[in-house]
Amino acid sequence: MLETEATLEVKNLIADLRPSEGNLLAALHRLQEHYGYIPSDAIPVVAQQMKLGTARVYGMISFYSEFRLTPPPETTVSWCSGPACCLRGGDSIRRIFEAVLGIKLGESTEDNRVGLHLGQCNGTCDLAPMVRINGRARGPLSAAEAVRLARELSSRASPPSARKNGGSPS
Amino acid sequence: MSTYEELRQQALSAPGGWQAVESPTKPRVTVYLATCTIAAGAGETLAALRSEVERRRLDVVIGITGCNGLCYAEPLVEVAWPDGRRILYGKLTESKVPRLAEEVLAGGGLCPELALASLGDAPADGVPPIGSLPFWAPQVRRLMADCGVIDPENIDHYIAREGYSGLARALTRPPEEVIKQVSDSTLRGRSGSDFPTGRKWDFLRGATRKPKYLVCNADEGDPGAWVNRTLLEGNPQAVLEGMAIGGHATGASFGFIYLREEYPLCFERLNKAIEQARERGLLGQNILGSDLTFDVKVVRGAGSYVCGEESGLIASVEESRGMPKIRPPYPAQSGVYGQPTNVNNVETYADAALIMRHGLDWYASLGTERNKSTKMFSLSGHIQRVGVLEVPLGYPMDKLIFEAGGGVPEGRTLKAIQPGGPLAGILPAEHAGLPLEPEAFREKGVQMGGGGLVFVDDSACIVDLCAYFAWFVEDESCGRCTTCHGGNQRMTEILRRWARGEGRESDFDLVKLLGNTLLYSNCVHGQASPTVVLNILNFFEDEVREHVFEKRCRAKVCKGLIRYHVSRQRPELAEAEAICPTNAVLKKNGTYEIDQPLCIKCNACREVAPQAIEVVDAFPA
Repeated sequence: MLETEATLEVKNLIADLRPSEGNLLAALHRLQEHYGYIPSDAIPVVAQQMKLGTARVYGMISFYSEFRLTPPPETTVSWCSGPACCLRGGDSIRRIFEAVLGIKLGESTEDNRVGLHLGQCNGTCDLAPMVRINGRARGPLSAAEAVRLARELSSRASPPSARKNGGSPS
Repeated sequence: MSTYEELRQQALSAPGGWQAVESPTKPRVTVYLATCTIAAGAGETLAALRSEVERRRLDVVIGITGCNGLCYAEPLVEVAWPDGRRILYGKLTESKVPRLAEEVLAGGGLCPELALASLGDAPADGVPPIGSLPFWAPQVRRLMADCGVIDPENIDHYIAREGYSGLARALTRPPEEVIKQVSDSTLRGRSGSDFPTGRKWDFLRGATRKPKYLVCNADEGDPGAWVNRTLLEGNPQAVLEGMAIGGHATGASFGFIYLREEYPLCFERLNKAIEQARERGLLGQNILGSDLTFDVKVVRGAGSYVCGEESGLIASVEESRGMPKIRPPYPAQSGVYGQPTNVNNVETYADAALIMRHGLDWYASLGTERNKSTKMFSLSGHIQRVGVLEVPLGYPMDKLIFEAGGGVPEGRTLKAIQPGGPLAGILPAEHAGLPLEPEAFREKGVQMGGGGLVFVDDSACIVDLCAYFAWFVEDESCGRCTTCHGGNQRMTEILRRWARGEGRESDFDLVKLLGNTLLYSNCVHGQASPTVVLNILNFFEDEVREHVFEKRCRAKVCKGLIRYHVSRQRPELAEAEAICPTNAVLKKNGTYEIDQPLCIKCNACREVAPQAIEVVDAFPA
């Protein structure tokens, strides 16, 4: 493998993690914490360090919903999908964010300013229904509050072509 | 090499140790820091408190603790005085900190208006004792005895309160005797698996190949359950102690704690706890001077529900996609990297430590004939008081709902209870009085599960809720079995059709066919996935049939069966027009109406104009 400055950096980040000790998840977490995502160029470096095939490493990244191969949006709106949120109107919150931002759950605006992420319940259910904006909890949200919050975030994202009136209703 | 007594003396006398908490010489302010309290603003409360203390040059000590389970009253702050008074303040957001600093910390008063309870047994200046709070009254706190009490990042606090005495005692006995004690305790897997822990440990003891591994399943993925998080954030050492006892009993030399991605604070606290336990010689080689060698590492998941299934979890530790394996072989023969392995839940390990610390008589003094001692439960959904509590097994569930939890929101009636996550099933309100033990739930075709209890009132639609769970299990299927990944796609489609008013008579047979087919999936994820659907056909048949045959949703929730309608022309409709995210509230020739194709039925308009907009059946009878 050709050694570049970038691959050397990846190598150094995970140099202390040995193969066959349950360290692949830790290696991928480290890269994602450092870069915000896992650069594709890092996959062969990780594979070599952990003595695994590149397909195994890629398979790992694609299986787990929290790993990403592209840079994260500036602002991640993590919509909590838990049952307490669902019972207290969480699905309306999702549809509002989708409509106002003009994107579906799992997508980001074209300029990558705002993304809508499927979040899992972490037991902060007194705040249901909620979203986490870059990790910070916002809840309980009424539908009207969700509209205002989504509009405030939307004004930070730009191209109107992607958003018009707020996308098509689902 | 220190003996346990030496460690304990050291813990008691350490500066900033337990003595300073129990008998403070100056006022001590403790901020409860856990994922839930931080979400409620405890981080800001702590920052504001620090700056007030500095600004006023107050001679007070600031400490931290985990969550005590009173999630409904977060953020929580405790003030302990040298004279023995300890007052817990609830909903203590940043904005209330100046008042607390002024009246309490500087003024020496109690400020009863901000106080939630006195942490002593008796009321303090009119502040009621915590035991009189309905949420606290039924609790017996064994597993949670240190949650909201000790600093979870300080091992000395745990040791000072007799932590690790269970391990010390276990090490004086042969492994077989430890296993017998765990077996005799009736302890069974607290994740909901309900498998006898002692027998599981015995299987691993019997395996001859080395090394052997212990795994702690901290992948608490059931949405609506956070009992393991509460324990790990509030008292991580208890789980390490239980694992070390398991190491001695089974001959395992290494433990993996598999922690879900969504719990970063647990990750931080567990790693600190492991480091401190190694420093004290409670992990590593020759633990407490014995010949036990046992160490632990935390493996952090990355977002996958099915990794909570033990063979999926093992695959994930082994640096693979977290796909459950075909069994046999079982983990005791071939687990992590093919080595003999034992997987137990967080609460199970903590319980094992308590059994060794206090003995069988103490452990068996609570609970039922078949299920001894206590269990932690989290209450959420349509309930007045959200939180985590610990009650004896067999405690009547309706008392938890209506007394501790304060019942469903005002004006509503209880409709259903969803215990144990999306695979466990759903119970109608008529079974609310079940005793909290696995057998009672199983009799009704439902699993009690790992401790999550989600309550549902009559504002919810049972079909909508079921479609939500079907989608969850479909989305989280690992994809190995066609029955599961294909079957749950079809199941979700059918339920969504019902919610759209496109149900067919033949669907009932199809759902039953799917339910029977899913049983042939490899792992419990697929096998148990139709439980909720089969439960609603059994318990809520009328409501389902209304959706399919009358195209009517009695709770007015299912989007295809309702429409929003302007019932009265009122001035606040201008506000409704402004708030509508899809511009569906329109003014045409001076009157407001709702453009049905544009409307996403989000309810924002009705929140701002409740007297002008109503929800009506899309298919009137």
